[in-house]
Amino acid sequence: MSGANVWTRSRERMKRLPELFAQCGPEATAYGKCVTATTSSKEELRKDLCIREFEALKTCILSAAKKTVK
Amino acid sequence: MNNVLSSRVLFGTCSFCRCFLRRRRASPHVTEPRGTTATVSHRDARIDLSRFYASSQTPCSIKLPNNRQMSDKIGGAMNVFDRNMKRKQKQWAASLEDPDKYEYLKNEVGSRVADRVYDIARTFPLALDVGCGRSHIAEHLSKDVVERLFLTDVSESTLKRRRQSDIPVQCILADEEFLPFRENTFDLVMSSLSLHWINDLPGALRQIFHVLKPDGVFIGAMVGGETLYELRCSLQLAEIEREGGFSPHVSPYTAVTDLGNILGQVGFNMLTVDIDDIHIHYPGVFEVMSDLQAMGESNCAWNRKSMLHRDTILATAAIYKEMYGCDDGSVPATFEILFMIGWKPHESQAKPARRGSANISFGDLGKINQSPSMDKPKER
Repeated sequence: MSGANVWTRSRERMKRLPELFAQCGPEATAYGKCVTATTSSKEELRKDLCIREFEALKTCILSAAKKTVK
Repeated sequence: MNNVLSSRVLFGTCSFCRCFLRRRRASPHVTEPRGTTATVSHRDARIDLSRFYASSQTPCSIKLPNNRQMSDKIGGAMNVFDRNMKRKQKQWAASLEDPDKYEYLKNEVGSRVADRVYDIARTFPLALDVGCGRSHIAEHLSKDVVERLFLTDVSESTLKRRRQSDIPVQCILADEEFLPFRENTFDLVMSSLSLHWINDLPGALRQIFHVLKPDGVFIGAMVGGETLYELRCSLQLAEIEREGGFSPHVSPYTAVTDLGNILGQVGFNMLTVDIDDIHIHYPGVFEVMSDLQAMGESNCAWNRKSMLHRDTILATAAIYKEMYGCDDGSVPATFEILFMIGWKPHESQAKPARRGSANISFGDLGKINQSPSMDKPKER
């Protein structure tokens, strides 16, 4: 696929994701710890078990993206 | 899978042409079609359709027979990977501006395979590289070890942009499962990091066995066992938490034990299988996935999900870093490379000793320390 289409635009956005992720270290760690805690505890991992931590991570990423928008 | 089957039956001429081409390569064993029972696998559909046409001239709107017996004859081969998609992925990877940047793993494994070729103190007049990619083995070999080399790959662009080497080389566009060579042609067959995308691994190894000369050797390297287990586990956990279920994203790999069994069944002699663990550190999971894609190693299994949601990718990154991250902030990716060496039988090769030819008893094993001049028992 050549030219400017939805795939090239979303690919460009995806390329920014690593740098945005690097700015949200604490939230990412919190979410990671929440999920990995289920691997050792008796509680099974279900959908949206760690939704609070994930929403925090996502808002952090979105605000970082807004800050660095060209 | 049933709707795929019906589409092949309905769109008459196209499926007939494609199957007819495949039939020329597969060994023709024409039998009468039997009655249908349960669902037909995708692979069975293709080969069955060809035999159906070979045996009768009826139009293809007739219900396709399920021929369980035939699938046993082929060895119960699976159809896991979409070979057409893999070819497209390899073409795309070869068309990048700087493919060398991403092929560090293939270069490394290619040099290790070349090492193993050098370990054999022989000159090979004719050698074959199956699934060569951009030819990572040939640049480490020299003319006094391999005199002439044939390169085969499914993708034309990769062959066109191959790396240069000293050895005279001939490029052939061929699928690993359908080698277009006569029996007893090659002294050496090599394969580096392409066997893990083959649907019918025993069949492909049988073909390699077929084209080898007696006392010829096959040296292969394939990705296996616990490769990319970090990626697999993180994706699994992230998908369960974000989406409620998970689907396979990393393709299934062969275990070491299975590999030894397969090689033995095919008929190779004097097998050697060993594992090399390569850990590569990346800044994050995004780099892991984009590098794999640029290497041409994207998933092409039929059962792959075509989408990976942004939320899931984000969750995977967080979980990967938390579960497997190192102190310096990087994350490791494990590649378990299985190296295999097998020889085609020949009279000159050492065989196990004849039963009853032992002249020392195992009972004397305890006395070995006492008399150092005693030989080891010869009987295996």
